[in-house]
Amino acid sequence: MIVPMKFVTLVILRDDREQVLRALQKQGNLMLCEPQDATRAGAQAGAAMRRMEKLIADIKPYAPKKKLFDELPAETEAAFEAHNAKAQETAEKMETLLSEIHELKERFQKETARLEQLSPWANLSLPVEALRDSAYAVYTPGTVPIKHAESFLQACADAGISCETVSETETTLYVVVVSLPGQALNELSENGFEKVLIPLEQGLVGDAVKQSKEAVRTAQETLDKRQEELRTLASQSHAPQLLCEQYRAQSELEDAPFIETAQTVLLEGWVPADELENAEKAIKSVTAVYDLSARDPLPDEDVPTKLHNNKTVSQFEGITNMFSVPKYGGYDPNAVMAPWYWVIFGMMMGDAGYGLMMVVLILLFKKILKPKGETAKLANVLLYSSITTILCGVLFGSYFGETWHPILFSPLDDPVRMLILTMVLGVAHIFTGLIVQIINSVKAGHWLDAIFDQVSWILVISGLGLFFIKPARTVGIVLAVLGAVIILFTAGRAKKGVVGKITGGLVGLYGVTSYLSDILSYSRILALSLATGVVGMVMNMLAGMIQGSVIGFIFSLVIYIVGHVFNLVLGLLSAYVHDCRLQYIEFYGKFYEGSGQLFRPLSINPKYIQIKDNGGK
Amino acid sequence: MSGLSIAIIGAALCAALAGCGSAIGVMAAGKAAAGVTSEKPELFGKLLVLQALPGTQGIYGFLTAILIMVQIGVLGGNAVDLTAAQGWQFFGAAMPMAITGLVSGIAQGKTAVGAIHMTGKQPDASGKGITMTALVETYAILALLTSILLIYGIQL
Repeated sequence: MIVPMKFVTLVILRDDREQVLRALQKQGNLMLCEPQDATRAGAQAGAAMRRMEKLIADIKPYAPKKKLFDELPAETEAAFEAHNAKAQETAEKMETLLSEIHELKERFQKETARLEQLSPWANLSLPVEALRDSAYAVYTPGTVPIKHAESFLQACADAGISCETVSETETTLYVVVVSLPGQALNELSENGFEKVLIPLEQGLVGDAVKQSKEAVRTAQETLDKRQEELRTLASQSHAPQLLCEQYRAQSELEDAPFIETAQTVLLEGWVPADELENAEKAIKSVTAVYDLSARDPLPDEDVPTKLHNNKTVSQFEGITNMFSVPKYGGYDPNAVMAPWYWVIFGMMMGDAGYGLMMVVLILLFKKILKPKGETAKLANVLLYSSITTILCGVLFGSYFGETWHPILFSPLDDPVRMLILTMVLGVAHIFTGLIVQIINSVKAGHWLDAIFDQVSWILVISGLGLFFIKPARTVGIVLAVLGAVIILFTAGRAKKGVVGKITGGLVGLYGVTSYLSDILSYSRILALSLATGVVGMVMNMLAGMIQGSVIGFIFSLVIYIVGHVFNLVLGLLSAYVHDCRLQYIEFYGKFYEGSGQLFRPLSINPKYIQIKDNGGK
Repeated sequence: MSGLSIAIIGAALCAALAGCGSAIGVMAAGKAAAGVTSEKPELFGKLLVLQALPGTQGIYGFLTAILIMVQIGVLGGNAVDLTAAQGWQFFGAAMPMAITGLVSGIAQGKTAVGAIHMTGKQPDASGKGITMTALVETYAILALLTSILLIYGIQL
């Protein structure tokens, strides 16, 4: 059912704006729309919210790991609404610690790199300033690969260049070459000699290495200390989460469009008709100075759609919304669609064993991950569908892919019977869609349209169906011809001219192909149920093949578990997707007009924390 | 050639060609999904569903191959002595799934790429993308049905 809406215009004093909006946000029953020349309060809270989100992501490595069955941190409503100076302080401290840690890490890396460059020269007996070029000698520090060491030393000796080895590693020789000014070192370069700059201004390299080591050690120690501090802080406090949600709520308020005068502001929006009183109460609780007027929506207005169905049907709303949201004033198809989705899903899975697995896994999923919103609804849809899955499994005798005492028959042994069953189901599904359209047309006063466009097709299809049942063959022919005649004479009624009307009628009759392909499309139910069954059977067969010894038995258990879980997941994906398709194209194609817009009220939707009511609602 | 060999070639082609189609389709979709995930990691779940869609053809091909193996007794160890005509019948029955599996797997992969790009730009539209991609699969399902009905229809 689609909830009736009222368009409200609210005038309040400027100073009350934030308070009033906050009260309305808490109730979550007003969807603001944007009047012409609207202004907004600003965007500071949005920026602050993003800052907190970044902080939450940054401290994640330091926060304690979330355990199974853990709930989100809870806050009372009062704490959520209060300005929390301590949380601000904690969050700022976390940010400072993070930037310190970042800086320390950089310093640590820089010092480590410097230490690496210096340490080979630690044994150099001269201070580095002594290596500067003088009038009589040029000092060139450099490296030589160890495999060229001998030829290099030979080359030095040949050229009359003196060379002092400072240190030696497994791969490299560190040397200082002393040559005359102007003397070419080409010869040495050919033997693998490469010039190196010692990264030190003055003093002994050995001293610098000691200092550098000390610096690395301090950096490491401080880093450890800061990280530990942050870890403690992150495990004790959820300040960033709380602040983030406060800013998120605040930012929604800031984003609310309004028109202002010197003293007042004007807000416009939609409120569900039955919530109007509550909304007024919320405003009254803040101020006595306000003007609230409500009117019914105008015929050509874009009104947001709020769906209201019982708890079971409302779980299926997401499936319709994924296709198209029902239009305000239109028809909400969820109540008709839900039972069909439920039944078809069960037939597509069609295995009692997998149905039981679904129950267990979905209950675990709900217990462990505590999904919210659309995910939770989808999980419920699957949970409901596990009932039909078990039921169909028992009817068709399928247990983890094995056939065992089917009550009806086994699709694997008699696919043709199953094919006919799915087609009959498809016809019933399509007829449901046509009947919904008939009801809607009659309600709108277009009962002739209902006879021409829907009843005629019901006659044709049921006539063609009866044609295959011997005793009812003549009845079938009569019905089909009657329907076809109606279509031939009426399908072109909107066209102009005699030619247009005749071709319109013929084209209308050609629509029989689209109905046939719609009905054939239901054969996918058979294909998917066979797919689930046969792949399960193969897994059993594979496991059975290796069950000779104890080790084989253990391996077969692995195959059973992995194989069946894999098959279940694939089966679920296919059933979900193809069941949706049957609803969207074959079913909704017959009557449904969507393209509505969902009612999204100003509200508080925390992601990182949960808000618990003090009084208990 | 004995009938059994011909039937086995049919079953093998069915699993192999449909598997190749799916592999190509899933690969194309996976590359697109990886690109979108690099920018929007939070969409991973939605994209994974889209990437998995072209994978079904491979399963259908495998399924058809297994059904043939069951019918001709290769799996049970007591192979039926098929005549050449019967062998060709099995071969023919395998062809709808083999050919359609190959082509529709690739085609569905391309559609999935489009749907993945759409989801990257409009995460709320993933449902529509899934539907568009699933439409391609209809023909693989029809081919699977044809193959299954043919396999069961062959007189042994």
